[in-house]
Amino acid sequence: MSLLEVRGVTVRFGGVTAVDGLSLDVHAGEIVGLIGPNGAGKTVTFNVITGLQRPGAGTVRLDGVDVTAMPPHARARLGLGRTFQIVQLYAGMTVLDNLAVAAHRFTTAGLVADALRLPSRGRSLAEAAERARAVLEFLDLSHLAAVDAGSLPVGHARLVELARALCLRPSVLLLDEPASGLDPAETDAFVRLLARIRGTIGCAMLLVEHDMSVVMPLCDHVYAMDFGRPLTDGTPDEVRAHPDVVAAYLGTVTA
Amino acid sequence: MSLRLALALALSGLPLGAMYALQAMGIVLVYKTSGVFNFAQGAIGMAAAYVASGLGVSLGLPAWLAVLGAVLFGGVLGVVIERFTIRPAKGALPRTIITLGWLLALQGLVGLVFGTELGRRPVSLFSPDTAVRIDALATAFGWDQLGVLVTALAVAGGLGLFFRRSPLGVAMRAVSEGADAARLLGIRVRVVTLAAWALGAGLAALAGVLVTPLLGTLDTVGLVVFTIQALAAALVGGLTSLPLTFAGGILLGMGQPVIGRLLGSPAGVNELIALAVVLGALLLRRRTGRGDSGADGLEPAPLRPLPKGRAAGIAAGAVAAALVLPVLIGGPQANFQLAGLLAWALAVLSLVLLAGVVGQVSLCQAFFMAVGAYGAGIFMSHGVSFLAALPLGALLAAAVAAVVGIPALRLRGLELAIATLSLAFAADRYFFRWTPLVGKDTVRPLPRPGFTDEVLHGVAGARAYTLLVAAVLVLCAWWVASLRRGRTGAALTALRSSTAATAAMGFSVTSLKLRGFAASGFVAGLAGVLFSGLSHIAGYAPFDFTRSISLLAYAVIAGIGSVPGAVVGGAIVTLSALSVGGGSGEIPSGDAASVVTILTGAALIAVVAGAPMGLAGLVSRLRDRVASPPPAPPPAAPPPSERTDETTEIVIVTASQSERFGPDTSQTAQVGKKGRRP
Repeated sequence: MSLLEVRGVTVRFGGVTAVDGLSLDVHAGEIVGLIGPNGAGKTVTFNVITGLQRPGAGTVRLDGVDVTAMPPHARARLGLGRTFQIVQLYAGMTVLDNLAVAAHRFTTAGLVADALRLPSRGRSLAEAAERARAVLEFLDLSHLAAVDAGSLPVGHARLVELARALCLRPSVLLLDEPASGLDPAETDAFVRLLARIRGTIGCAMLLVEHDMSVVMPLCDHVYAMDFGRPLTDGTPDEVRAHPDVVAAYLGTVTA
Repeated sequence: MSLRLALALALSGLPLGAMYALQAMGIVLVYKTSGVFNFAQGAIGMAAAYVASGLGVSLGLPAWLAVLGAVLFGGVLGVVIERFTIRPAKGALPRTIITLGWLLALQGLVGLVFGTELGRRPVSLFSPDTAVRIDALATAFGWDQLGVLVTALAVAGGLGLFFRRSPLGVAMRAVSEGADAARLLGIRVRVVTLAAWALGAGLAALAGVLVTPLLGTLDTVGLVVFTIQALAAALVGGLTSLPLTFAGGILLGMGQPVIGRLLGSPAGVNELIALAVVLGALLLRRRTGRGDSGADGLEPAPLRPLPKGRAAGIAAGAVAAALVLPVLIGGPQANFQLAGLLAWALAVLSLVLLAGVVGQVSLCQAFFMAVGAYGAGIFMSHGVSFLAALPLGALLAAAVAAVVGIPALRLRGLELAIATLSLAFAADRYFFRWTPLVGKDTVRPLPRPGFTDEVLHGVAGARAYTLLVAAVLVLCAWWVASLRRGRTGAALTALRSSTAATAAMGFSVTSLKLRGFAASGFVAGLAGVLFSGLSHIAGYAPFDFTRSISLLAYAVIAGIGSVPGAVVGGAIVTLSALSVGGGSGEIPSGDAASVVTILTGAALIAVVAGAPMGLAGLVSRLRDRVASPPPAPPPAAPPPSERTDETTEIVIVTASQSERFGPDTSQTAQVGKKGRRP
């Protein structure tokens, strides 16, 4: 059974069909790519999976649970981690605090614990900070722990956002155009980092990306879409060679 | 209800509706050209009505001259407000809060100059004799009603011509479409904005002068509450179109008597209807995506690391000693004054929690206090002891605050200010006369412990009660500080920065915001019970809308987001009351009250325009300056064409980052495309 299962998702905005009957699977430990030119419906698909957009038809299942009607935070609790196309770090908070917010998913202290300074409160804070530190350490970002997240250049911000998502201990990690705004060297480093995360943490990933240099070396399986419709899927090489994909990216030569 | 009766009722609401329309058009005009919501609109009308009464009745000038003078006064006032207080401030919400300062200041000034006693005669342009009788509906119109209606129609028509024909009117329309574009076309935006304020305030003045004879009374409160009607009419018009706004006012005026009759004409039903219209229109606006996404929450105070360890211990000890000393040596009077101070500090703290931690604004905090006090009264009437009724009443306030928080899930910043202020107005007129809450006599006994002791044993009871209030304040301050640094605080801080990212981390945005509102309502409720306990009576007098606005003022003056600032805020309330002889934090009356209100308003204006972080911000800035030598002035931002510094920095960062990912990073890192911020 696949970890993330999208079946027949269709989204219409007025008369425009943004996504038309898309299905895809992400299995445990797999890195899956979703590619397509601008306007293909990638971001809408992404929003359907994360819960920002309710599909007109179709279902999204996470680890066997139907999450189609669930709000974003409930999906996060079920193990869906994500990053944003435009980095959404908490400006004004340190990098460590940014990560701690995510790590608090596993802690429980609430308003009453705050009021009474129950032991659970101190434990919550310590656990979250510890988890955040461990993730920073793992990604070699410990030197940024005390830096204001709002002041980071985009290359670092993307890494920190990735680290924050990892603090959720996601079973599936959704990455929305992680390479946008990165230069080729940064992109290269990012790709190797994702490979390393797969090798060590082993969480599955779904990459929405139009940069082929990210998708090709990383992905086990690639779905291509255009005008909201699935074009083809297969290994990166198969998809790259597929005539429809070539046509979608480069345009067709009409005889 | 027969159709005939409905029609007659609707017609009877026509003149008042025309006045709503005039006020609302002034609000929309100012909002469209300057983005500021003028909450002082009703207060300007009130001040103008007093000026007209002063000119016409006291000085004996002819009525038309008195009215003209009052309208001119309104226009000049608008110019003063814009030029000297709005313009120096930055941001739509802070500027709107400045108009609240004017609301207070005008209320106080009028009270000081003209006195607050009732029975002052308004100037009337038209006689109340019957002008038209409509026999088919068994109703009649007086010359006064007809005159007001015709004047309003003429003014609206004149405005229509003004905006279509006159250069200034066309320029105003251009500015309201987009100030920057207008500026590029050579329009002097500042002059146009100033003119819009003059016109908007002039409309407010005209409406105020015309409406007073219809209402029959002239006081410093009624016409300020009138603002809620203008808010409702303006929102019906979508805050954009003046003709629609006019129609909204007329519709509201005609609808109110009909709906009011259907609801059994309870006291304050017009304000209740206006509140429903305001909330409905705001929520609808959000849903259809016409809200102002730009208008964000209050500028949160920078979250400083709170003092830890010994310093905090010494500070807490010093504060505790300062608080306990008067309790030990003072008599009952000193104890009550201190208890009043602490209760108000608690109220300001509830706002610090809401504004500083949750990042939401509330202009109905005193209403939550009243709910807590009345709630405790209800519980005590069922035999619950005071100490148990205290948290129970506060829980009721928390529940009400959570209900208020539901619209706040969709609204924020400016819109939330409109919604909560409308609630404060409606509370004054409706909820504080609603018997299930306030009882038959609008007061509920709240026999606190120590009351009988005082009678028997003098000061002992007063001391015990003061210590109770102090203990609750300390516990709540501890709670707020603890919450801010805890798990919920982290999530709330994150929420203010990015809603989407916080939801993506598994936090329910709905639950977080509602919990924030409930917690704030709980603290406000505690404050309400404890303050009311001082006088053994839960009543609404200390919790009117002026108090709600003042509480926000004190929170802003003391520094939103600062827990010690809350105590400073409470001290301001009490000291200002004491200095003018109010005693034990009671609401002072007469001239003294006016002076306090003026000072509060003036301080609010000064702080928002000059020191947005409040006193706490000033103190921490001072502390930073003492602790470290003044930093070198930051270099002026280079023009876009010369941003070499920044580019270099980013290249270096890129290189060092690349090194971290492995030894085989190619040298292209340093010559690659420069990182750009999204």
